[in-house]
Amino acid sequence: MDSVVLESVSKVFRHHPALFNWMGRERGGETRALDEFSLTVSTGKVLVLLGPNGSGKTTTLKLVSTMLLPDAGRVLVEGADTRTASNRVRRHVGFAVATERSFFPRLSARENLDFFAALDDVPRKSRARQIEAMLDRTGLLDAADTLVMKFSSGMYQRLGIARALIKEPSVILLDEPTRSLDPASAAHFWNLVRGLSAQNSTVILATHSFNEAAAVGDLLAVLHRGRLAAYRNIGDSSVEELRSFYFQTTGELDEAHLASRSGR
Amino acid sequence: MKLAQLLDKTAAIVRRDLLTAIRYRTGFLITAAGTAAELAAFYYLSRAIGPGFRPDGVDYFPFLLVGTGFYTFLVMGINAFLGIVQEAQQTGTLEILMTTSTPAPVLVFLSAISAFAGNTVQLLFYLGAGLLLFGAPLHANLPGCVVIFALSLTIAVAIGILAAALQLAIQKGSALVWMLGSGAWFMTGTLFPVATLPLPLRVVAELIPITHSLDGMRLALLQAADWPVLARQIAILALFSLILLPFSLAVFSYTLRRARLQGTLSFY
Repeated sequence: MDSVVLESVSKVFRHHPALFNWMGRERGGETRALDEFSLTVSTGKVLVLLGPNGSGKTTTLKLVSTMLLPDAGRVLVEGADTRTASNRVRRHVGFAVATERSFFPRLSARENLDFFAALDDVPRKSRARQIEAMLDRTGLLDAADTLVMKFSSGMYQRLGIARALIKEPSVILLDEPTRSLDPASAAHFWNLVRGLSAQNSTVILATHSFNEAAAVGDLLAVLHRGRLAAYRNIGDSSVEELRSFYFQTTGELDEAHLASRSGR
Repeated sequence: MKLAQLLDKTAAIVRRDLLTAIRYRTGFLITAAGTAAELAAFYYLSRAIGPGFRPDGVDYFPFLLVGTGFYTFLVMGINAFLGIVQEAQQTGTLEILMTTSTPAPVLVFLSAISAFAGNTVQLLFYLGAGLLLFGAPLHANLPGCVVIFALSLTIAVAIGILAAALQLAIQKGSALVWMLGSGAWFMTGTLFPVATLPLPLRVVAELIPITHSLDGMRLALLQAADWPVLARQIAILALFSLILLPFSLAVFSYTLRRARLQGTLSFY
C-alpha cells in the first residue's frame, strides 16, 4: 500500500523586495523549489532523498508534513490530502526538522517532549513512560531534566528525533538527522531507523551522506533543481556505487573523489 | 476533539508558560516592583489633584485604578496573542507547532487562555494592592462585573487573533497593538473621562470597544450599578463580540493558509 504520494507537485517561492529597496540590494523574483515532482513511497519503506543544496529535499518534507501547501499538484499521506484533510495528515506524520531552533529554550528536554506529546494527543496515562523510553532510545536520559538552551547541536538533533517519534507516527520525516551526531550516535540512529521500518513505519530521510543512504535506505530519489532526476532501489548497493550514481545523475563534479585519485 | 484532550492540551500550555515565566526570575520581580511603583504614582497624583475632581461621580484614585488596571489587562491580553506567534517565529517553534495534531486556531486560542490567566492574576494583584495598600473604595455589582469582564475578554481575544493574523501576514502585528497602546489609550477614558474630549474624538472613542469596557467596569465595580444602568454597555460589548470574533477567526485562517502557501510561516 502507498503511504505517501506526491502527484505533479510544484512549489514556487516568490520574493518581494523591501518597500524602499533603493536603501539595500534585495532581489525580487521567484525560486522554483519543486517542478512537476511525482513520487510514491510504499508502507514500511525507507526512502532517501539526495540532492544538492536547494534541490527541493526540505521542501518535499515540508509539503508532506503540511508545513507548506503545494501550488499545483497534490500530496497524499495515508490517503489524506494535505490541502483538504491537513488535520488527518498531521496525526500520521512525525517530522524531525534540521534546525536546532524548534524547542522552548527554558524548558527541559522532558518538559519539551511532554508539551509536544500533549499537543499530539499522546494519552496522558502512558505519556511519562513513553517519554522516558524515547529519551533512553535517543541517548538523552542523563540530560532529561536539563534546560534545552544548554544543549549542544547533537543533543538538539537527538531531541528532535525523539519528538518526531513520540506520537508513534506511521510516516516519519527526517531532515539531515545525523548532521551533528558523532559517528557512534549516527550508527545507533541508523539502527533505530531500520527498526522503525521493521515495525512498518514509512520513513523519508533527506541527507547529504552516502553512508547514511547506504545504511538505512530501501529506495533512493535524487533531486536536482526541483525535479526528480533519478529513482532506484538501494538494495545492497555500496557507498561508492551510490556516490558514483549520484554524481552521474546530477552531472556535478565529484571533487573529493578526484582529489583522492590524484593522491592529494 | 474530546473535552479531556482539550483540557490536557490547556494544562500543557499553562504549564509551559508558567515554567518559562518563573525561570525568568528577575523579570517576575521587576514586573511586581513596577506595578507597585505605578500604583503609588497614581495614588499621589490623585492626592495632588485633590478631592474636588470626581470623574463620573467617583474618587479619582479608584477611577484611575480600574481604568489603568483593566485597560492594561485587555491590551496585555491582546499583546499576548501577538507575542505567542512572534515568539514561536523567533524560537523556530511555529512551523513545528503547526505540524502537531492540534489545529492552529485551537492552539492559538489555548495559548491565549493561558496568557489571559496570567494577566488575570496580575489584574487581581493590581486591584487588590490598590484596595489594601491605598484604600480604594469599591462598591461592586459582582455579577455585572463578571458579564462586563467576559464580554471584554471576548473582544480582546478577537482583537488579539487579528493581531496574530497580522503578524503572520506581514510580520508586524505589533502595529495594531501600538495603535491601541498609544492612539486609543487616551481616547478610551483610561486616565480621564471621555466626556472631556472634543466631539470628533468622542465619536471615535465610541467606536473603540475598550471605551465601553472601561465604562461598564467602572459602573459595575465602583458604583454597584444595576442591570438597567449597565444595559447599554452590555449591549454594545455584545454586538462588538458578535461581529469581531467570527471575523477575526476567518482572517486568521486565511492568513495561516496564505503563509503555508507562500512558505512564510517562519519569517519574522
